[in-house]
Amino acid sequence: MEQQIAELTKSGAMLGTVQLEIFYWWCTAIMILIHAGFLAYEMGASRAKNVLASGMKNILAFAFIVPTFFFFGWWIYLAFPGGFIPAEAGNVGLPWAQDMGPNLKDNATGVFWAAFVLFAATTASIFSGAVIERIRVSAFIILAVVLGSGAWILAASWGWHPEGWLLTQFGYHDVGCAGLIHVVAGFFALGVLINLGPRIGKYNKDGTANELRPHNIPMVLIGLMLIIVGFFGFLGGCAILNPGAQWTNIYGQPMTLSAYGFNTLMCFSGGIIGAWITTRDPFWMMSGALAGIFVAAAGLDLWYPPLAFLLGMVGGIIIKPGNDFLVKMGIDDSVGAVSVHGFAGVIGVLAVGVFAAGYPNPGDAPATSFMGQFVGVIVMILCGFIPGYVVSLLLKSIGILRVPDDVQELGLDLAEIPSKAYPEAAGYRSGSLAPAE
Amino acid sequence: MNSSPITSWEGAGAYFTFADSPGMLYLILVLAVIMCFGTIVLAAKHETEAFKKIEGKD
Repeated sequence: MEQQIAELTKSGAMLGTVQLEIFYWWCTAIMILIHAGFLAYEMGASRAKNVLASGMKNILAFAFIVPTFFFFGWWIYLAFPGGFIPAEAGNVGLPWAQDMGPNLKDNATGVFWAAFVLFAATTASIFSGAVIERIRVSAFIILAVVLGSGAWILAASWGWHPEGWLLTQFGYHDVGCAGLIHVVAGFFALGVLINLGPRIGKYNKDGTANELRPHNIPMVLIGLMLIIVGFFGFLGGCAILNPGAQWTNIYGQPMTLSAYGFNTLMCFSGGIIGAWITTRDPFWMMSGALAGIFVAAAGLDLWYPPLAFLLGMVGGIIIKPGNDFLVKMGIDDSVGAVSVHGFAGVIGVLAVGVFAAGYPNPGDAPATSFMGQFVGVIVMILCGFIPGYVVSLLLKSIGILRVPDDVQELGLDLAEIPSKAYPEAAGYRSGSLAPAE
Repeated sequence: MNSSPITSWEGAGAYFTFADSPGMLYLILVLAVIMCFGTIVLAAKHETEAFKKIEGKD
């Protein structure tokens, strides 16, 4: 009898372990749809002469984030929850550690690492759209790695780790990464855009702006909807499955996936409707769907669903004026990423301080508060803006940040891509110039 | 080349290639890092040359 109980217990524990692996495996797979979405979004948002160059840039962001996150990204997350001094506990994330590869005694690290890689690649893709049509591919890859395998994961170690100092000292709450991903990526993009400058033709000599229209809005809309699908994998990956016990969020607070079910859909809808009543433009409506989720993301485990809907509406309403403000300031953000991710994310982090203060945290960590969220959002802005501005300034100073104006006018596809996006389309510049060998 | 760190699956932990050989792990890792970052340097050079060609400066 005792032997049978022991065997059943062992079997039950293994079932739980496998359940955990399977859950994060499929979350990761679904998250890849975010990248399918960003790929379609960025290509659609480009003009026809740049469409493949934009696609290639986006694909390369994903490709370079994966190995660099293996080389140092995962270690940063595990080693720096206390600040800037690495903790010994992070050594299990070093690229030669026994847990960093097939290991029969560790079923969890690989699937968690994979999910975090997809978070990192998402961060890089957010930045990617803002700089299309004039950034050099090599500079973009460097910046994407700095953001995806450096800046955001350091922010995550501080504000999305059970021992992160933003949690233990300030009770910071950001379960769906409104600050950690969207504010960091949005403000990183802003830092780069200041140094990169606008696309040729965006501004007139008198400072007025022209609209450089996307070449394929339907592709943009489908891309944005794919991103939404992928977000369900993303948000699932933000929850901690505890076999045999209640779900917890990344901070160890109890939660349910049902909470995400209610609130994700409600804020998504609010975002669309908010953008619809203010713009009547499907591009901004689908961007509003994203912004709606980001405004509610930090407290997605806590909201009363109609409040999530209202927060989503705020996201949908503010993004177009936010982008118009940036355009007036001379910032040419090709897809509105700074406004959709950065500005909406800031509101989302602060919304927890306003509407969800007082929730207890595990251990000695203080309860959620406005001050905790305020400190957190300032840290997130700095984590994004400083590396984006400084690294892009360095790249600019050595002349490898921006595509020359003549090449921009010709089109990046002719300069960089062996194939043509629309070779039979009437009016598409065929060009006798072959891509550089 | 025998790259297996185990001779039996009984009680096995890390079983990836060269898991018991730190020197080989470092070597492979360094090669991977060089290849990863080396391609970025090559891309930067290629772009500079391509743009010069288009601008007629070459």
